[in-house]
Amino acid sequence: MRMEGRFEVGAPRERVWRCITDATLMVACIPGCEEIEPVDARSYRARVLVEVGPIKARFNLVVEVTEELPFDRVASVTRGEEGTRASMLSADNLVTLTELGPELTEVRYSSEVSVTGRLAKYGLGMMRKRVDRLGVQFAERFRERIGSGALSA
Amino acid sequence: MSALARLHRPATVEEAVRLLAGGDGERTRLLAGGATLVAMLNAGLVDPAELVSLAAVDELRGIGTLPDGGLRIGAMTRHRETAADVRLAGTLAVLREAAARIANPVVRNMGTIGGSISFADPAADYPPALVAADAAVEIAGPQGRRRVPAREFFVDWYATALGPNEMVTAILLAPRAPGLGSYDKLYRVAGDYAIVSVALSVAWRDGACARAGLAVGGCGPRPLHLDEADELLRAGRLGAQAARRAGELLAAAADPLDDVRASAAYRRRVIPRMVERALAAARDELSRTA
Amino acid sequence: MSTPYPLALQVNGAEHRLEAALGDTLLTVLRDALALTGAKRGCNQGVCGACTVLADGEPVRACLTLAHECAGREIVTIEGAAGRAQALQEAFVETGAVQCGFCSPGMILTAAAMLERTPRPSADEVRAGLSGNLCRCSGYRKIVDAVLRAAETGAP
Repeated sequence: MRMEGRFEVGAPRERVWRCITDATLMVACIPGCEEIEPVDARSYRARVLVEVGPIKARFNLVVEVTEELPFDRVASVTRGEEGTRASMLSADNLVTLTELGPELTEVRYSSEVSVTGRLAKYGLGMMRKRVDRLGVQFAERFRERIGSGALSA
Repeated sequence: MSALARLHRPATVEEAVRLLAGGDGERTRLLAGGATLVAMLNAGLVDPAELVSLAAVDELRGIGTLPDGGLRIGAMTRHRETAADVRLAGTLAVLREAAARIANPVVRNMGTIGGSISFADPAADYPPALVAADAAVEIAGPQGRRRVPAREFFVDWYATALGPNEMVTAILLAPRAPGLGSYDKLYRVAGDYAIVSVALSVAWRDGACARAGLAVGGCGPRPLHLDEADELLRAGRLGAQAARRAGELLAAAADPLDDVRASAAYRRRVIPRMVERALAAARDELSRTA
Repeated sequence: MSTPYPLALQVNGAEHRLEAALGDTLLTVLRDALALTGAKRGCNQGVCGACTVLADGEPVRACLTLAHECAGREIVTIEGAAGRAQALQEAFVETGAVQCGFCSPGMILTAAAMLERTPRPSADEVRAGLSGNLCRCSGYRKIVDAVLRAAETGAP
């Protein structure tokens, strides 16, 4: 299932870049993300809670950065599972930044996600709607954080 | 293997709420008829540590008449009982017709109205019917009881206005008015969830439409309802032109899914047809009975 | 985790004292603890109807009913078929309504409860009444014929 979206941020591209590569800031922006912890220079461990109606799934994910072109693009792969391997998730992700102006940056994200196991029994159409909405939430939080100067570095 | 460690069987609503509040939030769930929850348990989609069975709570059972002539449908009332209750006539017939279209006779003998609306599948049959009939939902929680209009109860995919440790206790209906109620759904096989469903409740007096309630199911995160469409139908006395316009408005406001049942585009195309068909049938019935 | 708890169940007129985990369904207990394998595990989701049994005379899905919720209820499975259900069994045999037989217990018990309420149903009423019971051999025609035949012969 392919997920994609875009949003604009009122900040210079370099600043946006520093934010999306800042794990602490990402925890606060990713809906359901409870924890991100760097494993090494290129990978992170993350715990994300996904809630769909009465179903709650907590994924332990490993995100590995496969390509990093400063200020322009980050590609990564995500692999993970629910605690008891009830569901497995994998995703290929790409984030690109485009300078629209000195104080305006476009963020584009796309992800090819595959879920197997118990959650896959749930309607795919609904999952897509959920994820679209998560994308909007992410953008809102990200704009808020970047605007408030909450950059840890 | 289920991790279920406690199965409570309270006798009162207050006790049920206490058990819910005393449990470990996300791992404690209410068990009504079981038609959805046990199926999800079997599929490994939910893994509760505690269940609070409502089977022994007398207050939740059956349909009663209120002092003002309205009806109170207890949360544990089975679909079979609702489908058979002749007091659900006139404007309230929409509820009876919706209940009769849920799943199949055996599941209707198990499933309950409270369980169904708490799960809040927007393709289920009750949500649009309750919205069309402008019903209210009675809720009990640690702070006591409160009422929420059905039009505000359904808030998102599988999400309701229920707060933490709250439960549905009843559906409240204003006294029935002369007129009609109807429920129709487009489905793949009998008993399936709706591809698109249309619920209609019309109060009709002296050849004029006093009130119209129209809601569409299966086409968004909650039942699709527009005050503007209701007003068009009322002012246009359910006429063909008003029906067409109302259908177009609802189709434009819909946010349907692509899923195994149908594509989103197909659903959008079908909404106006279903609405026009429901209104044509309504005009037909009113001309015969009025 | 799945600690068994004592449970007294009334099945086919006899009381059974057994132990079952709280999450065990009636279907699991009937089949695994009581060796009553007439109720079948088809979908385990309440869709196929193969697990249908009677609880206090009303048809329920054994797969959607927790065993511990059945204390105090009178359960009847196909093994305990009597009266209408037995007449239906005979009509199924005479009409050739049994193919692989997987759906037959659920069909018969659902039909028995329907005939209790509607003793002389039309063919359409039978179809609607059995709409929640799937026959994987697709032998619906003879199943409907058998129910109509049992209705004609009347209650024993």
